[in-house]
Amino acid sequence: MADAAQRLAFLAAHSAIARDDIALVSPDMPLRANLSVLDNIALIPQYRANLAYDKAADQAWDLLVAAGHQDCFAKRDPDLSHAERCVAKLLRAAIGQPPIILIDRPAMLLPDTHYPPFLFALLEKLAEHLNDCWIVDYQWNQPLYPAPHNLTRP
Amino acid sequence: MSLVINFLTHRGAALLATWRIWRDTLLFAAHAVLTAASPAAYNSATRTVVMKQIYFTAWQILPGFTLFAALLSFVLIQIVVTTAAEFGLSDYALEVSMRLLVLELLPLITALFVALRSSSAINTEIALMKINGELEALENACVDTMRLEFMPRVIGGMISVLALTAVTSVLALVLAYLAVYGWQTWSLSDFSRVMGKVFDNAVLLGILLKSLTFGLAVTVIPVAEGMATPRKLFMAPISVLRGMVRLFFVLMLIEVASLAFKYI
Repeated sequence: MADAAQRLAFLAAHSAIARDDIALVSPDMPLRANLSVLDNIALIPQYRANLAYDKAADQAWDLLVAAGHQDCFAKRDPDLSHAERCVAKLLRAAIGQPPIILIDRPAMLLPDTHYPPFLFALLEKLAEHLNDCWIVDYQWNQPLYPAPHNLTRP
Repeated sequence: MSLVINFLTHRGAALLATWRIWRDTLLFAAHAVLTAASPAAYNSATRTVVMKQIYFTAWQILPGFTLFAALLSFVLIQIVVTTAAEFGLSDYALEVSMRLLVLELLPLITALFVALRSSSAINTEIALMKINGELEALENACVDTMRLEFMPRVIGGMISVLALTAVTSVLALVLAYLAVYGWQTWSLSDFSRVMGKVFDNAVLLGILLKSLTFGLAVTVIPVAEGMATPRKLFMAPISVLRGMVRLFFVLMLIEVASLAFKYI
């Protein structure tokens, strides 16, 4: 994306087309502060599929294990590191198995991490649980990405 | 002239803002009650929130509040019994103390206590959720915030106020019996006759409605005020302040309306 306006227009356009088909992982979409990571993720199937808590929590736990971040299952948002918070947000989006997950401004989600390798490793671990995953980032961050994953302009 | 126009414009804008928040509160109350009446609105997550709300609003405060209510009831019953005896009106002491405590004071004190403890917390929590964008995030994840966050709090608050009022009222009945008749059981039939006279069906329905209305007020007003908070962190304390003041006036209004309906 060339600038914030273009990014917002892109997100708005995709939200308008198929809101139910796209799950957003964004710094602007925080976790519920008074729920643990596990409960934040389990909340989605509890609501969308009317699952009992135990079954929803099992699904959330499986995703946490697949991502390799099960240690943070009981933490609440203020106690999470940036990486843990980003993983929790991604899993909250992934548990509904939407056709597309948009990861918005990963540099803001992971300010202390060289985020492209971290994200690609995470997406690799979760490959079985994800459909399409798009990273929405600014053009000036393009050099951070390894060559095969270089960003394309919309 | 421009000074007058500016003043009137400013007052008009303030009046419209006040009108809007009251209108939004009433609409929210109607929406919450309608949602609560729909069985489809309940799932494992809403049930958990209802249980948590009842736990934090009623169960956690039960011992302390019951003790306080018992102490207050005992003192007031003693005052009424002693004063009635001085004026030669001992026959009416029981009836007067029950009308004072169970019909008027205990439901109001319960609502005020819950307002101080839980409504302020609810108002703060919803305001912070609004400011941080948590509500928007839930909506974005296709989670209905009315079902998850708001309606369970309203249900939990209503049940809590009703339950605490019931517990303290029963305690007041026991204390009144002990104060008037002492530690014996052979006056139970007299006591039952007086209670039957005081608590006819219409009065019982009135207490139930008043407690439910109190319960609705102590949850709906803070939630509505929290939702109306602009997304600026410094507005959080202002939102709680406004919510609590409005809640106080509404509780008093309900009490005055109930008194007027019964006695005028």
